[in-house]
Amino acid sequence: MIFNIAWKNFSRQGIRAVLNVMVTALAMIAVVFNISLYNGFQAQTTRNMIRTDVAGGHYRVPGFDILSPTEWEDVTRKIPESLDDLPNAERASALVQQGQLFPNRRLYPVQLRGIDVHQTLLDLPLDGLKSYGERVEDIIPAVLGVKMAQKAHLKQGDTTVLKWRDRHGVVDARDLLVVDVVTMVNSRVDEGVLWLRLDHLQDMTQRQNEISWVAVKEFQGPVQGMEFQEVDELIADILNLIENDRKYAQVFWVILIFLAGIGVFNTQILNVFKRQKEIGTLMALGMTSAQVVGLFTLEGSMAALLSVFVALLLGTALFAWFQSVGLDISHLAESTIPVHENILLDIHSGEVVSTIVIIVSVMVLVSWLPVRKITRLDPTLALRGRAIT
Amino acid sequence: MNNIVSIDKVAKVFRVGDEDFTALHEISLDIEPGAFMSFVGPSGSGKTTLLNLIGGLDQPTSGSVFFKNVKLGELNRTALAEYRRKNLGFIFQTYNLLPVYSVYENILFPLLLDGNKESAVRRSVLDMVDSVGLSDQIKKRPSQLSGGQCQRVAIARALVKKPELILADEPTANLDAENSFQILELMRELNKQFKAAFIFSTHDEKVTKYVNREVGLEDGRVCWDKRRNGSGSFE
Repeated sequence: MIFNIAWKNFSRQGIRAVLNVMVTALAMIAVVFNISLYNGFQAQTTRNMIRTDVAGGHYRVPGFDILSPTEWEDVTRKIPESLDDLPNAERASALVQQGQLFPNRRLYPVQLRGIDVHQTLLDLPLDGLKSYGERVEDIIPAVLGVKMAQKAHLKQGDTTVLKWRDRHGVVDARDLLVVDVVTMVNSRVDEGVLWLRLDHLQDMTQRQNEISWVAVKEFQGPVQGMEFQEVDELIADILNLIENDRKYAQVFWVILIFLAGIGVFNTQILNVFKRQKEIGTLMALGMTSAQVVGLFTLEGSMAALLSVFVALLLGTALFAWFQSVGLDISHLAESTIPVHENILLDIHSGEVVSTIVIIVSVMVLVSWLPVRKITRLDPTLALRGRAIT
Repeated sequence: MNNIVSIDKVAKVFRVGDEDFTALHEISLDIEPGAFMSFVGPSGSGKTTLLNLIGGLDQPTSGSVFFKNVKLGELNRTALAEYRRKNLGFIFQTYNLLPVYSVYENILFPLLLDGNKESAVRRSVLDMVDSVGLSDQIKKRPSQLSGGQCQRVAIARALVKKPELILADEPTANLDAENSFQILELMRELNKQFKAAFIFSTHDEKVTKYVNREVGLEDGRVCWDKRRNGSGSFE
């Protein structure tokens, strides 16, 4: 009987029920959307690092440190056979050296990064280098990222002087041709980096067949003369940043949940407040306190369940649309964060479930608590609408 | 004692801010079954308080209220709810109909609360709707009815379970003169038909013409208790 009465009460409340359900559903959508967008940002950051630089880890020449450019020239070695034999889709060899560009008669220190142009493990738009031969000719072909090109004031087809030192410390210089300016999603492989063919850089520095590291799809076991650095190690700074960010994200999530909870609380308490007289009438008609509390809690639960249904319906449509367009963050292109394509949502089921559980609990609690309070007072107060003020 | 309600030295004190306000001063009254009576007095005289005490909606500060020799003060909340459900019908000044229910459903509601199946009591409800002259409004909701029609629904709701006692708090206060007369006439007929005792609280002089007994209250005290004699006048 109580269920039928509750359903009748709930389904016939009209705009009040619709508002109640919509506020709750939108609150859930807003919370999940925000946290998923945050997740998406972090996930794309990590993904871009792996896609463009880290792959499944690096076999590095011991002592190589990307943050110590003055030591790069001393930390190279011949590529081990076991790594050289891997297919192009499973390894990407790289040699990193220092160099200096002289665009417009100004000195511009750069990282010369020679990459095996046949590799397909890393997603790098370096096709412009493929058409050149293995030996470097009079002019050195190079590819630049958009940010690097902007900062060095270079564009496709420009030539400038590149200076470097070979393995004996002898300084050499030659003209460099910018064969392509490409968009890099990861600014860490764009800014300050000059992309060359690996064989060219080896030739220029007289380091035949030498590398600084080999990115691999997966760990190949210990390799003599190389040390393996895992993905987590290679993107430790990003993970650290994300870890700190996650704390803020969690605080943000709690604040959003709190705000959503207050919204739901407000709507629901207003609903109960407006129905005080009805509660008094039900008690006068002979309903017990437990029945009245049960009735209102059931109504709240029905509203909560419908809210979840509406949230899933609207949320699925909204999220599906959003995944097709993403959030434009091109304004972050100038930052060093390794992401500047459109951000997509990364929805974690745990967060969705906990958001739903918390908001539904608030809704049911707010249906239960004030009614319980009212029914414990004299029914005359409820009849006069003064049980809760 | 054959009285349906006995009030024995009942006092009620309300706390208003930092002060106590005595709404009723040790009132004693006996009300017989089938009575058609009113508590009359100005605002604040204690009429509604007295009705609420009889209805088990409030508890006296001292003294006792008995319903058919059962002391209401000894009943817990659940038992008081059952007492109201089984024995009482309430009619409120502002009707207090359930807004999302139709006329039919509002009248049906107390019977469902009492554990009846709709199919078993449908006829009784339709008869009651007919008794209050609302057969053509049966599917309408309270918001679609006039004040007089709402009060008829409230009366039907109070009577449908055939209680022994109807408590009506200012039932004509929100009605115009014509509707008031119609409602009072209706209640008097139903009082005769169903033998239920009707107790009104009112300051509407029109009610005086209909009731058989009138208890005057002022400042929480009984000032007079008049009964209609065989010739139809109060004594």
